[in-house]
Amino acid sequence: MQRRQFIMLGLAAGATLATGVTLYPLFDRQEEQKQQDAILVLDALLPAILLGALPGDPAAQQQALFNTRKAVLDFLPFLPKRQQAELHQLFFLLSQQLTRLALTGHSMALAELSLELRLQLLTSWRDSYLTLLQQAYSGLRELLLAAYYGQPQHWQALAYQAPEFRAYE
Amino acid sequence: MNDPIKQGLANGWRHIDAATLTEDQQFEADVVIIGTGAGGGMAAEILTQAGLSVIMLEHGALWSSSDFRQQERWAYPHLYQDGAGRKTKDQAIAILQGRTVGGSTTVNWTTSIRTPQPTLDYWRSEFGLDFSGEQSLEPYFAKAAGRLDISKWQVPPNPNNAALQRGCENLGWQYTVIERNVHGCANLGYCGMGCPLNAKQSMLVTTIPAALAGGALLISKVSARQFQFKGDKIQQLDAVAVDQHYQPTARVKLKFKARHYVLAGGAINSPALLLRSGIADPSGRLGKHTYLHPSVISGALFHDAISGHAGAPQSIYSDQFVWPAGNEAGFKLEVPPVHPVLMASKLTGMAELHAGMMQKFNHLQVMIALLRDGFHPQAQGGQVQLDADGEPVLDYQVTDYLWRGVQQAYLAMAELQFAAGAEAVMPVHQDAMLYSSWQQAKTAIADLPLKTYRAALASAHVMGGCNMSVDAAKGVVDAFGNHHQLNNLSVIDGSVLPSSLGANPQLTIYALAWRNTEQLVQRLRG
Repeated sequence: MQRRQFIMLGLAAGATLATGVTLYPLFDRQEEQKQQDAILVLDALLPAILLGALPGDPAAQQQALFNTRKAVLDFLPFLPKRQQAELHQLFFLLSQQLTRLALTGHSMALAELSLELRLQLLTSWRDSYLTLLQQAYSGLRELLLAAYYGQPQHWQALAYQAPEFRAYE
Repeated sequence: MNDPIKQGLANGWRHIDAATLTEDQQFEADVVIIGTGAGGGMAAEILTQAGLSVIMLEHGALWSSSDFRQQERWAYPHLYQDGAGRKTKDQAIAILQGRTVGGSTTVNWTTSIRTPQPTLDYWRSEFGLDFSGEQSLEPYFAKAAGRLDISKWQVPPNPNNAALQRGCENLGWQYTVIERNVHGCANLGYCGMGCPLNAKQSMLVTTIPAALAGGALLISKVSARQFQFKGDKIQQLDAVAVDQHYQPTARVKLKFKARHYVLAGGAINSPALLLRSGIADPSGRLGKHTYLHPSVISGALFHDAISGHAGAPQSIYSDQFVWPAGNEAGFKLEVPPVHPVLMASKLTGMAELHAGMMQKFNHLQVMIALLRDGFHPQAQGGQVQLDADGEPVLDYQVTDYLWRGVQQAYLAMAELQFAAGAEAVMPVHQDAMLYSSWQQAKTAIADLPLKTYRAALASAHVMGGCNMSVDAAKGVVDAFGNHHQLNNLSVIDGSVLPSSLGANPQLTIYALAWRNTEQLVQRLRG
């Protein structure tokens, strides 16, 4: 896909998001559905954002992705309700058919895009002139990277170790 | 290991974790203090020692040294406002603020700086606040220094701070060795996750234990929701317990009645409580003029290891640019501690580019420039608003004036990092690259777009929103923190500051809190 196409798709996604965010108080998605939306989107974006950081061994990579997804989901309830609602709205839109069409021009789910296209999609949000897409980019990027690097098992590549004074119960 | 809080509790200190309560309760005291940070913690000890009955309320939990673990994934959700995910309304500026017993003092980097004279001069001319002669804060700086072991850091700076010092020396720029509030510091570098050794003399290990030993009651995991008032008197404070994620719930309601109320929730939460309560705001300044010291970041790669996670996080600062001769925005140069989550989330980019930088983690030197907002007509701060849940959100717009300061700050930091021996410098900005010479960086920085979301911006200093002013038309509280309209309310925290400080705020807040609480004791006795 060409860069120009992506810019257009970014616009369409922006319009969807803009409409969606104003709608969010109106719909009441069940907790379980929200969780499913989040998982679908996280599973699609984590391998892209963490490209180059994830362990090479396939089993270790799967474990790292699973643990990072869990770390994101465990962290979300600490955010203010307002920010949680915005994120769930974003997860909902990105996991829906409507968004697939808007983003790709095809009936293609986020998870069906190649890693390269997922990164291009994220970059198109970053460079969009729509505030909502820029916010989506910077919010998701921070959330996902923080969740990955918060885990001691990912510190080896950094040659970093935290001091430990005692066993924590 | 020695944990003075757990020992005190075992010896009968009065503490209630509101999350464990099963039914509504009502409490009474001479003074109810909302918030246990630099302001509330200091006030609690002085009021208790004056013989007054005191209740301290804290939204966060009572965590202490034996709970602290040197991991950001534990510390951020449990010790910081909004799990360290607090941001301005447009999400452009990340805000680090404590939310635990001891407030930000439990997690700050221990930097202790007296209020700069030009700041006091500005307050005098704009707000009629006279801190000279008899009213000088100097005796209170000295008292705070004695109480909290504030002294110049004698240990050589860690390589992250040493680079700042070396750059200044090589360029002939001003720098200062920082005074820190520590006693028996082991130079670990984990101040931001709670001191595991009780070396940092935060409110958690100094004034709050003293207040508890003096009979004060501490209630943690409680969110103050609303003051009930009649005429010029607050009659009651309504609060609720919070859940395991620190979210307010309606499950258990708590009511507090006191002769006097001390509001010390910090510069975002204090104005929010007054806004929720619908308290009159004749000056029109409540929740407004909220300052952040918006900070820009510059990373540099050094040949030798920097390991910015180890050692006192801040031991050197430079005021070379904080009070410029012209009209431009000044900025203070410091360094932050370099820990994995803080760096991973602040560094720009993703995928291979980001992973590559993270692999150079131990060779990464990081500088921050704290912009001095609040002195110029084009830097009048942000506004605290309430969202649909009644929770505060800060609307803060970075003005063109401040953006020019951002650019100057990127330039100064890059010049300094190269002067200190950096092999490459990367301003933390979406459009920046790694630059291998000062000349290259200089040209590139001039072209970086000065826009929201392109430049990574952060704040660890929130100030204002209930500003002090002698004239009731220009402030929410008077020069002693007494609310201009409500007779039995004082505000004792960073929200009273009428501008940013151009310096890290804890020592200013300690001094003002000490002075203003002494005056409050006189009032309550009289």
